[in-house]
Amino acid sequence: MSDPLLAPPPPIALEPAVDRTMLDRIILRPSSDVQGTSMGGEMVLLDLSTGRYYTLNRLGSVIWEHCTGHSTMSDIHAVLCDRFEVVPEQALNDLVALVNQLVQEGLLQQERR
Amino acid sequence: MNVLEKPMIEYLFSLYGTTVRYATASPLLAAPVNELLRHFRRNSSEESAPLTLCLHAVQERADIPWTKSSSARQLSSGTGAAVGDRPETGLPYDVIQDGGRLIADFHNAGVLVIDGVQGRADGYLIKPESMHANLIEYLFHTALIQLLRRRGLYSIHAAALEKYGRGVLIPGMSGRGKTTSFISLLRSGYRYLSDDHPLIRDAGTHVEALPFPNKINVTEATRAFFPELRNAPDHILHHGSSKRSFHAEDLYPTSVGNCCQPAAMLFPHVVDAPHSHLELLPKSRALEVLLPQALLVYDPEVARQEFQVLARLVQQVDCYRLHFGRDILDLPKLITPLLEKGG
Repeated sequence: MSDPLLAPPPPIALEPAVDRTMLDRIILRPSSDVQGTSMGGEMVLLDLSTGRYYTLNRLGSVIWEHCTGHSTMSDIHAVLCDRFEVVPEQALNDLVALVNQLVQEGLLQQERR
Repeated sequence: MNVLEKPMIEYLFSLYGTTVRYATASPLLAAPVNELLRHFRRNSSEESAPLTLCLHAVQERADIPWTKSSSARQLSSGTGAAVGDRPETGLPYDVIQDGGRLIADFHNAGVLVIDGVQGRADGYLIKPESMHANLIEYLFHTALIQLLRRRGLYSIHAAALEKYGRGVLIPGMSGRGKTTSFISLLRSGYRYLSDDHPLIRDAGTHVEALPFPNKINVTEATRAFFPELRNAPDHILHHGSSKRSFHAEDLYPTSVGNCCQPAAMLFPHVVDAPHSHLELLPKSRALEVLLPQALLVYDPEVARQEFQVLARLVQQVDCYRLHFGRDILDLPKLITPLLEKGG
């Protein structure tokens, strides 16, 4: 059931994009087409270029909040280890996996410094 | 081009400060629109830049004066599932962005050409004499809500009612209990804003819900729940193509509600249980479920504003999943306290 002038369906699966050997040099910032709002500690994102929308869980939302063009992925990893009860290796895997997805979806842009 | 060249007749409407000028040469295309907007009819307007909508009757597809340009981009398409509570609207379609215009191509039914910047929409309907009035109404409404977005009036697919000056919104597709919930509240004394598509807008300090009254379409299954619907005569409960429809005032001691601040949002689904109950829904989840009932990204700036209004709406209301059991007539006992507690 669908309405022609309502939003399109959610996205499909993605492929890796982040170089794990460069995490201390990769800086992330939101794409200009992305609009986000925090709802009860979870980010809801709308990609204005595609009409797709996304909800990030609490860990994803913390990652997103630090993607402001200032922190490296290593910095964000340190924040996750500090804020969540998680072993560093798992936090790193979660961080890389989410950033891969967000970069591939066009929601995040990565820069090297 | 063979668009029938008859004199256009104009009708004026005013929707919350926005003037809508509707023109058509076809009485067949005038009646459903006048019925849809009967609460908004005006005889004159002072506004210098009204929204303009025109519906044109054409005899065949080749008569439609629009051809897709090479830069056109398809936004979405559908195979013909029915929309909302109106089975007559089950049409295959393509939505196309073509330059600054949004094109809703309903293939053998016709084409809507919507120019948001100009505040104008033209609908070319193929052989409208063979169309159900609900389909004509739907096509007009589809174009209208795209134009209203640019005036800060956003349509959401929801039932909406008001009590004690506070609103309750029930978003969702048909089959989830939306209209059944709506009628259960209506018959207990709630006033109605809309059964299917109220408007919302940013009122500064809060987001408000605005009436967009329409006919209420009911299935035989919904009708069976309510004694007054089961016993309603045909001149009140009109036969449609597959559902029946009625005006709320014809059956219940109710009226159109006031513009109001929504206090609760319910996302119903039917459960096989004796009693209904509410489950608090996280706001992020509520927004995620609400977005497909409202938002189309066509003009990014308009979509950005609409997204923010929807987010503010969710922030200001309590959101619940309504597990809708068999105690349908008792729903007001569950919902009314939600409106009283903050009143």
